Parts: sequence; structure tokens; C-alpha cells
Amino acid sequence: MKGNFKLKDESKAISNLDSNLDESNKLIFKKSDNEKEITAEEFEEFIVKSGAAGSFMIFRSEKKESEMGIDEL
Amino acid sequence: MTDEIEQVMEKIYYEKLYGNWIENFALNLQNIWTENSGNDLIPTEKPKKENPKTSIVIGKGPSIKEHNHLELLAKSKFKGNIVCCDGALISTLKAGVTPDKFPNFYVVCIEARQGLKKYFDDDLVKKFGNQIKGIFSVVADPEAINIARNSGIKIHWMHALFDYEEGKKSFNQISAIMVRAKKHKNGLPGLQTGGNVGTTSWFFGWRILKSETVALIGINHGWNESDSWDMITSHGFEVEPPKLDHGSPSFNRLFPKIYNPEFECNCILDPIFLYYSNALKEFISRTPQNITTINATEGGVIFGERIHCMKFSTFLDKYSF
Repeated sequence: MKGNFKLKDESKAISNLDSNLDESNKLIFKKSDNEKEITAEEFEEFIVKSGAAGSFMIFRSEKKESEMGIDEL
Repeated sequence: MTDEIEQVMEKIYYEKLYGNWIENFALNLQNIWTENSGNDLIPTEKPKKENPKTSIVIGKGPSIKEHNHLELLAKSKFKGNIVCCDGALISTLKAGVTPDKFPNFYVVCIEARQGLKKYFDDDLVKKFGNQIKGIFSVVADPEAINIARNSGIKIHWMHALFDYEEGKKSFNQISAIMVRAKKHKNGLPGLQTGGNVGTTSWFFGWRILKSETVALIGINHGWNESDSWDMITSHGFEVEPPKLDHGSPSFNRLFPKIYNPEFECNCILDPIFLYYSNALKEFISRTPQNITTINATEGGVIFGERIHCMKFSTFLDKYSF
């Protein structure tokens, strides 16, 4: 998918990265020479700088059905 | 890469919020022992034909104002559940979407950070509180919960899952034992938050309220092109925006712009929304086949497999009986 970027404000023309969805609906960005997808280091640096971490971490489990919730805990 | 980002977030949450979660749980425990379980909200009767199993989750994303969704809803004949994210509660009531008109009215609150009391501190919440059912995580901000409680909102408790996988020494499992020590012998529901209250509300809609159709409005998980960079780079928090080099390739990677082909709009992600939106979309794709998720936000980045996108007015036409 490639954005049809008709910008209201050209100063916001930041990242016309090619993007697509993988098999679990996650956005993946196609890598090019100039612009690769975000690295874990860049991500962490931003979160630390911004102080805006959000609410919670996502719960992951080896038992994938548990990730969808536990009826009685 | 998504897995690496999740690992980064896990590390940061432990550093920044873990103490808060424990503290809030300690302060909430006495009330948890005397109040209701989120599982008490599971419907006991089969849904009637005129009241089908449908929930609308209301977030506070910008498209809700842009498309007058609350006004549309207030005028509709929708008879299902209203599931309001805490941050959207007051504006929802102000728009005339009240429990008087929509008796199956719920509010969801999961966050531990202080400052959420503003979401409940309002005369309209006091007016309608005793008709609103609230679901709160055991680590949610006690001050906010007190204001909700004093406004008449009936409190129901849930565990926000985050470290259950780490076994008996995990906070999720230790706190569950403590909750069951006095009341709630069968425990409380453990909900996946997906990192935020919007995703928790979506889970609440189908897992607890047993809705077969869950519609989303105001769940953008992204920014409009017209939003200011200060707002985008601080994720909308009232904090000093971080100093970032807007011209750097790294900046481009942190704030990619996405074209949403369903609603034909552009949207800017920040790293936190990337983290949230990927999770919500993944979980939607993994729901049981009888669950339908309709995104009627008319903006944002939530689209993909098993996400039915439509205008909210179309949704209301189809699901108001």
C-alpha cells in the first residue's frame, strides 16, 4: 500500500514509507536504502525522552489463548 | 521488530509504572474485597431480539468530533451496550448519550497514573453515575475510582493482565490470590489491555458483555495531519514535548504516515500508537469466528483482516432496531 499523500501542510511530509499489513494485521514498513523501519533503540530513546509511555504493556503468553483473556483469575 | 518494541515497552513499564501498580493495588484492595467482580456484568439472560448482542466502544480519538458521532448516536434508536473509555465519559454524557436513553451504559478505566480523576469529576457524572456500571482494573488510580464511586458509579473489578506468564511470583498471580483470600473465591476476570483503555473496552465488549458485534468509534490510534507536532511527539500528554530533530531519518521512522484505504485518509503514527494499533489489529484477527468487529471511527489506522470498516451512520442504520 502506498499513501496518496495530498498534504494540507507540506511541512508534515515526513515519511512516505511503503507500508503493508502482515499476516496478523500488523503494519510492516518496507525497507529502502534511506528509510528503514524503526529500530528498538530509536523507539526506546523516544519513549524515554518523551516520558509518554501510555498505560500498560501488552500481555504475551506461550499459551496464545491466554492472551485473549482469563475468565477467572 | 514488533517483538523487540514490545520488549522495550515491557522494560520501560517496569521502570516507570510497576511501583504505581503495586501501590494502587494496596490502596484498592479493601474496596475490591467489598465490591463486585467484573464477571457480575456477564449477561445471565439470552438477549432479546429487540436488544441484540451489540456494543459500541467509544474512545476519545479526534474523528469522533469531526464526524459528530456522539450526536448521531444520541439521536439514534440503538439499544445495545454503550462502552465508554474513561477519557470519553464526560463528552459522551454532554452530547446526550446518557444512561437515561441507553440503559446499558458502562465505563472502563485501567490506568494507574494519577490525574485520571478529571475523567469523573463532573456534575453530569454525578447526575447519571448511579445508572452507570464501571469496570476498573485493580491497579487503577484510587483517587479517580473514589470520585467515580462517590458519583454513584457501581464499581466492578478486573485484573489487567501483564505478567501472568511469569508464574506464581508474578504480580498478576499474587494479587489474584490476595483478592480471592477474602471474597471473589472464583477470582476476577483477567483482561488483555492491549496497552490501553480502548483495546480493553473492546475486549470487555465481547468477553464480558458477550456481544457478538463490537463497533468502535473514536478509536483512531493515530494522529491527523492537522494535529500539532507538539501534540504528536508527546502522545497528547501534557508534558514538555521531547526535543527531536524533525529532519532526521530517525524522526521519519518514529512518525510514519499511513494511508487508510478504508476511510481514504492519511494518519500519522507515533511509536506508542504503533505499539497499540498493531496489538489491537492482531487481537481482532484472532477473535472467535462469531465475533464481528466494526470500525466506524471513520479515520485512524485500524483496518485489516476481520475489521469491517463502515460509516457510523451506516452502522446505526443496520444495528438500531
